[in-house]
Amino acid sequence: MRKKGIQTNDPHIQALARIVGGEKSILYKKEDLIAYDCDGFTVHRHLPKAVVFPKNTEEVAAIVKYCHEHDLPFLARGAGTGLSGGAIPLNGEVIISLVRMKRLISVDLENRRAVVEPGFVNLKLTNSISDRGYYYAPDPSSQYCCTIGGNVAENAGGAHCLKYGVTTNHILGLEVVLPNGEIIEIGKNGIPDPPGYDLIGLLTGSEGTLGIVTKITVRILKNPEAKQTVLAYFDRVEDASQAVSDIISEGMVPAALEMMDQTAIEGVEAAAFPVGHPKDIEALLLIEVDGISAGISEQIEEILRICRNRNVREVKVAQTEEERARWWANRKTGFGAMGAISPDYLVQDGVIPRSKLPEVLKNIQQISKKYGLRIANIFHAGDGNLHPLVLFDASKPGETEKALAAGSECLQACAAVGGSITGEHGVGIEKKEEMRFIFSDEEIAAQIDIRDVFNPKNLLNAGKLFPTPGRCVEVKREKKQRQSL
Amino acid sequence: MSLRESEIKSGPACTTISLGNYRFSDPPDPSKWADCVHCGMCLESCPTYEQTGQEQHSPRGRVHLMKSVGEGKLEITEDLIDPIFMCLDCRACTTACPADVDVGGLIEEVRGQIRQAIPLTGWKAFVNDFFLKGIFPHPSRLHLLGSLLKLYQKSGLRTIARKTKLLHIMPEHLVEMEAILPEVGVPVRKKYKHMNVIKAKGETKHTVALLTGCVMDVVFSDINEATIRVLTRNGNDVVIPQNQTCCGALHVHAGDRETGRMLAKQNIEAFQHVDRVIVNAAGCGCMLKEYPELFRDDPEWREKAERFSQKVEDISKYLHDTGYEKPKAELNVRITYHDACHLAHGQGIRQEPRAILSSIPGVEMVSMPNADRCCGSAGIYNLTHPEMANKVLESKMQNVPEDVELISMGNPGCMLQMAMGVLKYGRNQKVVHTVQLLDWAYQKEDGKEVRV
Repeated sequence: MRKKGIQTNDPHIQALARIVGGEKSILYKKEDLIAYDCDGFTVHRHLPKAVVFPKNTEEVAAIVKYCHEHDLPFLARGAGTGLSGGAIPLNGEVIISLVRMKRLISVDLENRRAVVEPGFVNLKLTNSISDRGYYYAPDPSSQYCCTIGGNVAENAGGAHCLKYGVTTNHILGLEVVLPNGEIIEIGKNGIPDPPGYDLIGLLTGSEGTLGIVTKITVRILKNPEAKQTVLAYFDRVEDASQAVSDIISEGMVPAALEMMDQTAIEGVEAAAFPVGHPKDIEALLLIEVDGISAGISEQIEEILRICRNRNVREVKVAQTEEERARWWANRKTGFGAMGAISPDYLVQDGVIPRSKLPEVLKNIQQISKKYGLRIANIFHAGDGNLHPLVLFDASKPGETEKALAAGSECLQACAAVGGSITGEHGVGIEKKEEMRFIFSDEEIAAQIDIRDVFNPKNLLNAGKLFPTPGRCVEVKREKKQRQSL
Repeated sequence: MSLRESEIKSGPACTTISLGNYRFSDPPDPSKWADCVHCGMCLESCPTYEQTGQEQHSPRGRVHLMKSVGEGKLEITEDLIDPIFMCLDCRACTTACPADVDVGGLIEEVRGQIRQAIPLTGWKAFVNDFFLKGIFPHPSRLHLLGSLLKLYQKSGLRTIARKTKLLHIMPEHLVEMEAILPEVGVPVRKKYKHMNVIKAKGETKHTVALLTGCVMDVVFSDINEATIRVLTRNGNDVVIPQNQTCCGALHVHAGDRETGRMLAKQNIEAFQHVDRVIVNAAGCGCMLKEYPELFRDDPEWREKAERFSQKVEDISKYLHDTGYEKPKAELNVRITYHDACHLAHGQGIRQEPRAILSSIPGVEMVSMPNADRCCGSAGIYNLTHPEMANKVLESKMQNVPEDVELISMGNPGCMLQMAMGVLKYGRNQKVVHTVQLLDWAYQKEDGKEVRV
């Protein structure tokens, strides 16, 4: 078995080990590091220099300070379920894993807020307060295992964000370790909307490039009094898309409005949580309404009417909580389920105006044909957040590149109709080039200026979020800075 | 020892079917890791990830490592042992996985490779060979061990050992194990040796064979007795084939697939003349159902193994599906149920045992949070990895409701581990097998005195 003690002469490893209290809180051998060479985005793989497991804010600050002083690149990681590569150590970073900081520090029901450490798992918050009638609204599909720290970094969304908003709408305060090791607190006391610049808004969704969050004050909500869920099967994608448009334009705000196409249905039905969806439909909608009991059944009736108007083949309302849970498990494990029909997949995350749904879905079909790769669509139809899943086999030479190109083209199709390249998964490594579809060089440069205020040495999570060859903007600016020195 | 040397020592590896850096025969099946898309949905299901927070101790991380060796990116080294052998093989990840990745199967296959590339040495090799090869496959030696244990318990030796603190020369976890070992009875295999069949009470509806198990029959022969009583009461003739042997689960978990195959063949033959094999130990039942996995490269035995595995059923599911007489006597106890990993995750049997317990009058079921979380027993994991097993047990015990009298389950390994948990954390529950409760209810109905 393993020898005790640190088995390397690398002074950095030894110093970092001292900060976190020894060998059980640091990994540095290849066999241990391989598990950290990627996150949920598996196309790029790089080994980190080490992985450290701090127990508290002070240890995080000490690690960051050490890296800052010794010019070691570093980044933060939670459960590593991100889909854009935000936690991949492109530059051989020291990974600061926050999963051992997983306490629920306090719950304040009167003021509807809770304080958690960054490694606390999303769903555990709801599970810890549901018996008292409360829940935490942002519900990314990976909520069974993703951490709230990661949710803050990516400004994660989820099925129920249509009605309740994404992570940033639920963050009241943050404790942050800046890239030089300084500890700051923003949104003190968790008072919503403090005066001054919205720094919480800036930090949330900064993809781990501005600082490392070590404590989070989140908003918690009272459970809705009633909840009803509808499942509708359509023979034609156009009809399903039109039904989505109709529901929204009627002025209804469902809690969730999800769509899956035929390939996606094939995947989830072949996987661990099948529902028994028919295989020959082109699309299904999963619609949930919630709120006070009065009015729920009217909304359901309205939704059923709209679906029937749009030639629905079959539409039903969940009769039991088990049935509802089954439908959601089937939907929420959808990405992983693609493993059952394809060795690899690449998920895209475009946003489009809802009215363009049929058009863009048709374009995606064209892209699929062009590259000879199947593309499944599982997405938040209600807010126009598409998730085309490009299915491929990385072991076939050239297929990864083809998948990347096809994914990029999907995003281009979204941008072309006035949409965006990411709704909730972040830019990371995956979509940094595609940033050009929606931002000019100047706009990108302006954002890099903001990053540099927080992260001037660019040691924290470098190489993410902004396009690299177009770093010409950065290079030019760096030259200017040197000249001015 | 380098890989090359060990290859030479253990004879020529079957290099023709090697895969990446897996150089021995029976390499892991790459289609198993091809299903993993690295989504991470398994993380929170994994007890060792819960404890360490380290991804090389998570299902996704382990799959990634095993795949890296298969792709030739990583060698089999000493440092691979920890991530692969720290796994409890509890299969919770397979339940959580959206794509049904068979992580447990992969772990067992890779352990087989590691144990051939880096054979155990010294004391560990001795203990391993002594128990796994020298005792478990041989019923007579197991029974002898049982008799010695009995002698130790009854002759006053135990009292002396405990009083003189002689036990303290043993590691702490063995002392704990000694403390909770139940009174050893007479193995049913020995007891019914001269009976071809134990006749059903009343009309015979089915004939079934009983896998007596190795540990089960030595340590928990009373549960085997209870199983036989319950089966015969419900119209089953019970046969106990004398040439049956240990199921091989412990061997396969430890990476000794060769002995596993040998035992599998013996059992397949021992049970060839029956249509139903009833098992009351979840770990054994799961192993028997997975025998075909051991013969992936042997079509003839694979087919036999497949036919055999169709015959295997857990006692709770068998009773539930074929129907059993609902007991009429009241037991008046509060019970919680623990899902043995190899019953819930391994065989998908969750509701049947609960239904049986609930059907006993006077039984009040209290649900246990995370009931299907591993208790840390995991075969002999609690002996090979006591530190981790204890942490897993501690976390399990926190979920055992305070106000119950009994904890019911369907696996002997779990029963020992949970009994240790009860002792260690000052709880007062009694640990019982599901079938025992049903048996007690029947006995009470028949006017016998039952002490629950």
